[in-house]
Amino acid sequence: MSKRRPYVRPMAGWWRKNPFFVEYMIHEGTALFVAAYALILLTGLVYLAHGEAAWNVWLEGLKNPWYIAFHWLALAAMCYHTYTWFKIMPRTMPPVIVGGKRLPDFAITGSGLAVAVTASLAMFGLVWGMAR
Amino acid sequence: MSENQRIIEIEVLRYHPEKDKAPYQQVFQVPFTDDMSVLQGVQYIKDYLDGSLSFRWSCRMAICGSCGMMINGEPSLSCETFLRDYYPARVRVEALAHFPIERDLVINMEGFIEKLESIQPYIIPKEPRTLAQGEYLQTPAQLGAYEQFSSCINCMLCYAACPQFGLNSEFVGPAAMALLHRYNVDSRDGGKAERMELVNSEEGVFNCTAVGYCSEVCPKHVDPANAVNQNKTNSAADYFMRFLTPKGGAK
Amino acid sequence: MESYKADVVIVGGGGAGLRAAIAVAESDPALRIALVSKVYPMRSHTVAAEGGSAGVKLPTDSLEYHFNDTVGGGDWLCEQDVVEYFVAHCNEELTQLEHWGCPWSRTPDGHVNVRAFGGMKIERTWFAADKTGFHMLHTLFQTSIKYPSIKRFDEHFCVDLVVEHGRVQGVVAIEIGSGEFTLVEGRSVVIATGGAGRVFRENTNGGVVTGDGMAVAYRHGVPLRDMEFVQYHPTCMPGTGLLFTEACRGEGGFLVNKDGYRYLQDYGLGPAEPSPRNKAMELGPRDRLSQAFWYEQQKGRTIEGQHGSVVHLDLRHLGEAKLRERLPQIYELAEQFLGVDPARAPIPVRPAVHYTMGGILVDGRCASPLPGLYAAGECSSVGIHGANRLGSNSLSELCVFGKVAGEEAARFAKASAPGNSASLLKQAQAVEQRVSGLKTKTGGNERIATLRKEMAQTMEDGCGIYRLADTMQKTCDKLDELKERFKNVNVEDKSSVWNTEWLLAIELEYQLDVAQSMAYSALNRRESRGAHQRLDGFEKRDDENFLKHSQAHYVAGGAPRIDYGDVKITKSQPGTRAYGAAGEKAEQERKAANV
Repeated sequence: MSKRRPYVRPMAGWWRKNPFFVEYMIHEGTALFVAAYALILLTGLVYLAHGEAAWNVWLEGLKNPWYIAFHWLALAAMCYHTYTWFKIMPRTMPPVIVGGKRLPDFAITGSGLAVAVTASLAMFGLVWGMAR
Repeated sequence: MSENQRIIEIEVLRYHPEKDKAPYQQVFQVPFTDDMSVLQGVQYIKDYLDGSLSFRWSCRMAICGSCGMMINGEPSLSCETFLRDYYPARVRVEALAHFPIERDLVINMEGFIEKLESIQPYIIPKEPRTLAQGEYLQTPAQLGAYEQFSSCINCMLCYAACPQFGLNSEFVGPAAMALLHRYNVDSRDGGKAERMELVNSEEGVFNCTAVGYCSEVCPKHVDPANAVNQNKTNSAADYFMRFLTPKGGAK
Repeated sequence: MESYKADVVIVGGGGAGLRAAIAVAESDPALRIALVSKVYPMRSHTVAAEGGSAGVKLPTDSLEYHFNDTVGGGDWLCEQDVVEYFVAHCNEELTQLEHWGCPWSRTPDGHVNVRAFGGMKIERTWFAADKTGFHMLHTLFQTSIKYPSIKRFDEHFCVDLVVEHGRVQGVVAIEIGSGEFTLVEGRSVVIATGGAGRVFRENTNGGVVTGDGMAVAYRHGVPLRDMEFVQYHPTCMPGTGLLFTEACRGEGGFLVNKDGYRYLQDYGLGPAEPSPRNKAMELGPRDRLSQAFWYEQQKGRTIEGQHGSVVHLDLRHLGEAKLRERLPQIYELAEQFLGVDPARAPIPVRPAVHYTMGGILVDGRCASPLPGLYAAGECSSVGIHGANRLGSNSLSELCVFGKVAGEEAARFAKASAPGNSASLLKQAQAVEQRVSGLKTKTGGNERIATLRKEMAQTMEDGCGIYRLADTMQKTCDKLDELKERFKNVNVEDKSSVWNTEWLLAIELEYQLDVAQSMAYSALNRRESRGAHQRLDGFEKRDDENFLKHSQAHYVAGGAPRIDYGDVKITKSQPGTRAYGAAGEKAEQERKAANV
């Protein structure tokens, strides 16, 4: 009779055991803010469909200091999400060969972030221009 | 040498299936010099303090893949992790995470071996060739497409870094998937369609949630996360190919 | 006791064992193969081979050149008919590995590339960066998975053979995970357990390289041949002995002493030229380079380090890009273990024990004198290395003779009747009792580590690069003493599961046997040849008395009996072994004499 008795360690609380996992969980957690903000915009759309008066009520609601605080929080979360998303991007795609050499990870992450920042600024400028 | 010798505390997770219900910590005082690895530390314990401490090791130069351990909670090869980097604090050594412990620092790796065997880790020739015809031609660029994935030493640090494997041990996991990818992208191989079944399966790539820690801990820069995630794309493409081509992708 | 019936049992899951297993499976898929290995195959020490594997490839090269390099490199102690077979089959076997997926480094047009290596006239070393052994081993292991007839017994430690009616009929192994014994029956057995370098203190070898297979055969009366020839590799890490491949020099690296002087030119290896010339300077053979280090040390021209004297392996002029491409593992080893960036600073190195030229006596078809027993790889002495192995010949040997051993063992198994299981089991139970005795007995007071350390130290003292009768005698005496003290060894751990202390004790007992065969063979060889160099009146090669293979025979409870066997000479009569300019001159003279 074999005397082997392999011991299986529990997984409970695994994500707290390593800073890398904590960062991963925060990354995943910030995705909730992305989803939440999509819902907010969707709500705005529904109000808009009910006419100008309804839309103005929704806009007025946004001026609540709690709502503004939430916006700042959501912005921070989305920045973080964007950053960590592009950080793992090199791990998720086939190697990019430029001039016979493999593009280093930081170049992929850097271009991803640059595109994200440029697109955000363009969108901001567009909306700003329309609002004025 | 002795004037450089200091004492470091090594805390080892002990477990003996014939005696212990559960693992426990034991602390040893180990004299060390600046060039001593954690492996040499546990070897000292075995030779002079407690002969019953069990662990795997062989080459001492980070190529045989035997001596993976959790060192202060990080999956590491103990032969290329140095005690000086922890001193004067205590260094904590445990068996690789997410695997059953057989005894002390020895884990059960039968499941991992079965996974390696399941991925058809050999060339399924695209065009058969006799020895008299000589070697297949393969340019350095074609070699470069798979070389990194062929560098896996099967140390299993990536499994100890993968919470999804910890939660579901059926997941094929990073190293085996990297090896599968290695053969799929080898210019001599024609077995990709056969291997895609496993990629697409319940145990396949979609268990991965892109934590990415597997690639961080890989001592040989294999980047297994890249292999897994490239195969998510391949699997998706394979799925849609089914509708587009008469023969379809893999089953 | 569990028992398993195989047709062919292979002990050892390194390059030779895996190649043999595949050869059996390909020669007859109906044969049941048991591959017994004390570690998972990819942990075997083939994994650590770095530089490459020899096989004639370039149009400027020829089998004759490879033959001459090997036989001359071995100081004419080679079996020349076996060397002829060997050089003729290297290319084919390396091509076979290519077909199995080995990631050989390539030329821009896609052909396999070759590099220069020590003692080789023409570039003929196939390589996969500087991880050739690793890639060959993993290729063989992964390919072996394709064959359903290969049943692996991973982490099973073979402790003995079972022999009945004058032929070997299986092995007894401990399943390390449970500590239980298994009888693996087989009509033939291939031993492929690798070398025994761990009997020395400073060595390049992994912890598994303990010569178990050699000792097991030796105890059954099979002689160990040419055991005094132990290779010191000239460029190893001080302290740990880890290897910096010869390919460092093949790619153009220099060896310099404390004055930055390429000292090899003082030892008949010059002239010193700015880029490496084959068979000269840094591309001389390993025995000569290690010997030159010893003389530099005597002259006080080495550098004092924490772990003894060192010289410098200077790779700086090769540049970071080339080093990263051709020698990536060396680069990382230097950075991580020594804190040296080889593109910016020289690497401190010293010689360390690397390879056992001798081993289990087998003929050119890998058959030992014990019917049914075959051997291949470093544990065997098939006769190609002679008194000094050339770098990159051993990886090719694994393939060429792994295959031969597999095919021959398959043939033998098919021609033999199965054994009597009941009486084999009885033998196996006796083995179990004896081996278990090591851990069940009480009252011992000798620490395993102490005995092992003393053994390794005395081997270094007596059987190092240069040897003297009185220190060799001291080593022999010390080994006798250690064998006596071993009877008193204390295995504290009495348990079953993963009892590695018990395994270490078993290994140590085998190591002491192998060490004895080396020391006594060395003491008895009163000449200097290849890696066996004496400074006590026997400084010259003595073909008249010692162009012979030494053969150590096991004597229970005593010193080994040493006798001698003939050396097979086919086409190369013993000549002057010279390298550098002197070597070229000697070769021209030889050619002129033949015309």
